[in-house]
Amino acid sequence: MSGSRLLALPARVGASLLSLADQVGGMTLLLSQALKRLVPPRVDRYELVRNLHRMGVQSVPIVMATAAFTGAIMVIQAAPLVERFNAREFVGWGASFVTFREVGPLLIALMFNGRVGANNAAELGTMVVTEQVDGLRALAIDPIGYLVMPRIIAMVVMIFMLTILGDGVALIGSIITGDLLLDVDPRTFLASAIPMLGPWDVIAGLIKSAIFGLMIAVTSCYFGLATRGGAPGVGRSVNASVVAAATGIFVADYLSTFVLG
Amino acid sequence: MTEASATLVDSGPSALGRLMAPVSAGVNDIAGLFRLLGRTLTLISQGKREQGALLEQMYIIGNRSLVFMCITMGFIGAIITFQSAVQSQRLLPDLTMLGATFIKLLVRDMAASLGAMPLATRVGAGIAAEIGSMVVTDQVDALRMCAADPVDYLVVPRFIAATIMGTAVLIIAGAVAILSGMVIANGVFDVNFHTYLNFSMVTLGDVGLGVTKMVAFCAAIAIISAQRGLSTFGGSEGVGTATTRAVVGSSFAIIVLNFFISGLGYFFVPS
Repeated sequence: MSGSRLLALPARVGASLLSLADQVGGMTLLLSQALKRLVPPRVDRYELVRNLHRMGVQSVPIVMATAAFTGAIMVIQAAPLVERFNAREFVGWGASFVTFREVGPLLIALMFNGRVGANNAAELGTMVVTEQVDGLRALAIDPIGYLVMPRIIAMVVMIFMLTILGDGVALIGSIITGDLLLDVDPRTFLASAIPMLGPWDVIAGLIKSAIFGLMIAVTSCYFGLATRGGAPGVGRSVNASVVAAATGIFVADYLSTFVLG
Repeated sequence: MTEASATLVDSGPSALGRLMAPVSAGVNDIAGLFRLLGRTLTLISQGKREQGALLEQMYIIGNRSLVFMCITMGFIGAIITFQSAVQSQRLLPDLTMLGATFIKLLVRDMAASLGAMPLATRVGAGIAAEIGSMVVTDQVDALRMCAADPVDYLVVPRFIAATIMGTAVLIIAGAVAILSGMVIANGVFDVNFHTYLNFSMVTLGDVGLGVTKMVAFCAAIAIISAQRGLSTFGGSEGVGTATTRAVVGSSFAIIVLNFFISGLGYFFVPS
């Protein structure tokens, strides 16, 4: 009795490590199966267009709102430091660097994860528990080519595009806030932002957001397709997918920060 | 029915109506959230609640999120320290103020705002999925039939638990972010632990502002996710939609609240 209680903690740690290995392995297998279908491309074109619209175009309002507030908050947070060191000529550079390189891609990815990733896991999960995926297999339609590939491509392409849009909107948000709060003229703002920001700062942020998009896509497809246990299982896998993708985003952010340095 | 009225009916909503529809939907949505918040606060002030349910929710929301939050905020601390060190080296090679500035920013803003986003993902999705599946399996209607108020029975314990435990988890995760930043600063940039752990720039106002943000964000996560869960319809797909709306709604509320609280903090909490 006491022996089993003694082993309870290591057993729990072991079980969670095994399930983690199971999930990471499953995602890697799913990704490799998807990559195999890239050459020659076997993607359902109609599904691709539908997902590009649903995931990208319909996320535009929420991404723009997020980006505008993010740009504004960056200037508000920098304001005490700026006034202390009287560094008004560095506001533009500081705010836009942080937004382009780090906070913009990160917040847009978290938003995208909540909106698109969760929805995707729910949709695929519902298809699994209502046996529509088995139905596809019975019709000799490859579920990876028909369901997974269009979603992965759509998410990676669209989060990339949305981050470009978000960068622009966040810049406008910071310029307006800087003008109203700190009396930084928009021209001063841009004059400090443009020469000190290299193209690499923007490109590194965009590469990051594409990696986040791939992360969200593979995670949500995996958890959606791995749904078990009927309707309550769909809720569980949506929850698991969103949390796993958020963790993945932070880990990927950490690694890519060092690699893209 | 006359000819004229028939064409009026056929033409559907007017252009103005179509344009204003999202606006009025948003206003209704926010009004509904404030009604639920008011109702929850009234029930809390009346002060009868189930201890067991509250403790269970505190365990689920707090203890179960702690590891996840410490991992994410640990990475955040490392990333931000790395980025800001690289950037400040471009301007001046002196890194002695790196820790002091980072800790001030973390206390004043990032521990709350960047921490609340993953917390919203985890706690918000959990609350919405749980209440949502209760709605679609008619358990909430069963509660009403037993004369138990779903807000009292389901929302109040989650609201209290999320506000208390969420804030506690965010504070612990913020401390983890400082530690991981310290390790990175020491390992990569040779900044002494002592030099890094410099709390001299943190004022009481900063701490107050940070904790205010944490409490506000956690309360917003609980109310928005509970409301999304209670308004679930349409079976298992509906639960997925409710989860999505909970995460998006809470994340967006965090960003908007942060904008307003930071703006007020800039004017009323000088640093």
